[in-house]
Formats: sequence, structure tokens, C-alpha cells
Amino acid sequence: MGHYARRHGLILQMRTKKRRKDAPEISEEEFLTSAKAYLSTDFPNPQRIGCPPESELKTLAEHPRQAEQSARQHITCCSPCFNRYMEILADLKRRKAG
Amino acid sequence: MATKSSPAPYRLNSVDRHGRQIDPAVLAAAEEIFPRALDYSLNVLGDSAVVANMLEEVAARTTQLLKAKDPPGEPAPIHNLAAYVFRAFARDVNRLRSKQLVLVSSSEASQELPRWTDPSRQLMIKILTDEFLARCDSATQDMFALRMQGFSWDEIGRMNGISAHAAEKRFSQAFRRALGRLKMLKRPK
Repeated sequence: MGHYARRHGLILQMRTKKRRKDAPEISEEEFLTSAKAYLSTDFPNPQRIGCPPESELKTLAEHPRQAEQSARQHITCCSPCFNRYMEILADLKRRKAG
Repeated sequence: MATKSSPAPYRLNSVDRHGRQIDPAVLAAAEEIFPRALDYSLNVLGDSAVVANMLEEVAARTTQLLKAKDPPGEPAPIHNLAAYVFRAFARDVNRLRSKQLVLVSSSEASQELPRWTDPSRQLMIKILTDEFLARCDSATQDMFALRMQGFSWDEIGRMNGISAHAAEKRFSQAFRRALGRLKMLKRPK
């Protein structure tokens, strides 16, 4: 049993090392920063095609459970709406802090 | 803020180049986003006809997904068809970009770039974001947005009625799943 556990432990260790070597080294922090830059710039929508009204973005930020799923999907491919949503969230954070 | 879209001035085929049918609602959504898809991808695809072909393929795939996941009486799994089709299209374009970048990178392999200026790394994170968004549920997407805006796990947990640890764990699991998917995409076939 001890021998098996040691062997098993060794195998797990080797697997972990291999996984670390294969995995792209992207931290959650880098992901969050770069994803924000990507979503806020890569999807210009000058004609505002399919944009929800401001009130839906506010609901999404302040009462997400009551928000329309369609607005949630829209902000992932419309930079102006994504940026507005981020502004509303920043406002919310300030209000919660103050 | 414009709310409703105008009728699409672009016409796509109702069958993609593999002969797959496109649902009329999906076709209308694809035609609606065609100008945006053109802006997004013309520098990669080079020709509006190629953009149209790729968009038709995405629309055909979306049609198949709708048929598979939408038995009569069940709510539709996709709530915003135009956004869904555009996101799927952007995902395909980013994957194509990464293949083109590999060719360029290998010819410039001797140049060491800092991480934050490395275009292949930036593209990798875009693909990672696409994979993350394609697979996470709505609560995790909300947590992702809150985290991007600098909310702490304590605040995020409180807003979702769960503990800070549970919120962090939920996000980390989704992040690791997306990382795993990215690794699979990078693996040579």
C-alpha cells in the first residue's frame, strides 16, 4: 500500500510537471487585463447595429439576474456597449465604496 | 443609442458551400451583421466574397446547433442570434489569424519580444477570451465583467449570494477550462 501510494504520488507529480510545461503561461490577471482591452476596442459598431437601450445595460450591471440574456450576449461583440457597461459597473463600485 | 436594426442590405446564400441549409432567422441575423463582419475580417480574409462564405458557414453551424438544442416546447438556447453569429464568426477569424501569425512568427523567430508587445501572445489571449465566453454560463460571465472592473471576490460573492471563495473557484474553473481548450487548439494536427 505504502509502495503503491509512493508510486502513485510519483506518477501524479510527473503528470503535474508535464501539464505545467504544456500549459500556456497566462495568469488570470493578464487574462483579465487583455480581455478587457480586446472587448473594448476590437468590436466597433459605429452604426450601433442591434444595440440595447441604456436601461438594459443598467439592469445588466445593477440587477444581473433580471437582465435580458440578449443584452449579455450583445456586449461581448459590441465595444461601445461593452465600454458603457464597464462605466456603469465603475459607477456602481464607487457608490458601493462611498 | 440605436435600438432596432434596419433591414439588411446584404444578401447571403441560404445554403453554405458545404451544402448545409441555413435557417431563415439565422440567415437574417447573419445578413444584419455582414457589414460589421466585413470590417472585422477584411484584412485577414482579403475579399468580401470570402467573408460571405465564412459567415454562411457560421450561419449553417448555428442552424445545426439550434436544431440540435431546441426541441419543441423548450426555450431557445440562443437569445441574441445576431450577437451569437458575430461572436462565432470572430472566433473563427481569430483562429485563422493565429495560423497566419505562426507563419510570420517562424520567419522572425530570432526576434525576442516583450510579452505585452508580442502579437502572437495578444492573439492567443483573444482566442482564450473567445473560448471563455463561448463556454461560460451567464453568472460566470457577470463575474468576469465585475472582475475586469476591479471588484474584489468578496464583493462579487456578496452580489451573487455566494461566498468569496465559491465565486473565485467558479471563475477559476471556467478560466482553466478555456485554457485547456486553447491548448487543444494549439496542438498540431
